[in-house]
Amino acid sequence: MKKLFLLLLFSVTALGAATCFTPALAAQTTPRRIVIEAKRFSYDPGEITLKKGEPVILVLKSRDVAHGLRFRDLNVDMKVKAGGTEEVEFTPMQTGDFVGHCSVFCGSGHGSMMLKLHVVN
Amino acid sequence: MMRHAIVMMSAAALVAVTGCKANPPGRVETAVVTYAKHHVFIGGRNQKNPLPDTPENRADGKEAFSYYCVACHGMDGQKTGVPFAGHMSPPIPSLASREVQSYTDGQLKWILDYGVWPSGMPGSKGTLSDDELWSIVLFLRHLPPAGSQGTPQMYGQ
Repeated sequence: MKKLFLLLLFSVTALGAATCFTPALAAQTTPRRIVIEAKRFSYDPGEITLKKGEPVILVLKSRDVAHGLRFRDLNVDMKVKAGGTEEVEFTPMQTGDFVGHCSVFCGSGHGSMMLKLHVVN
Repeated sequence: MMRHAIVMMSAAALVAVTGCKANPPGRVETAVVTYAKHHVFIGGRNQKNPLPDTPENRADGKEAFSYYCVACHGMDGQKTGVPFAGHMSPPIPSLASREVQSYTDGQLKWILDYGVWPSGMPGSKGTLSDDELWSIVLFLRHLPPAGSQGTPQMYGQ
């Protein structure tokens, strides 16, 4: 009787864990997708905030010519062809403010094309 | 009245032809202008390059240099394959020359930012990012041997 009770308790606990905790766990491990549109000579959005240690997927879409997005301090460098989409997954491991620049020469305002990234705790 | 107008037009044409003729600068003129640029006109003397001198950063500089600097300076920074290099006044300097290499890193960055007036050297602030401009400074300090990089693509091989 006691053995049956223990088996039942174990099954209920396992079922509870499977139904309650798995989605939460999945939600924690699925990286957030952040879509960034690039066009001469700006990014939209122009500013994003991430949490330290939280993995994200940066999706870079070009709305005109070839562009890039590089955060030298974070070792992130992505390039996208004209009209194309590229993505990269990364996990920011240091807090602070970072500035990303276009890494593919795209014209006269190329040097002023930047995206601000804040990494917070 | 008609005669007066013809004289005026002839004088103007003469000035246009002779006054705008570009002669190579003499030694004294070159020395004076070089001194003035190094010690008076070119700013940024004490600015330090924030980028470490690594092969990766030099490669970044080489790539950024190739965007459009090569049109006048050549792939090697020494005018190789630039068809009009010998016809400019003031002349396009070799970036490997003592005249250029004796600028500080900060002065080279300043020149890249603002250009050198009244020469043909344009400023690139806003056209290239600070990172790219500083990486070009690194590339300038480690230029490849003259002629080793071929002719800029825009002028054919």
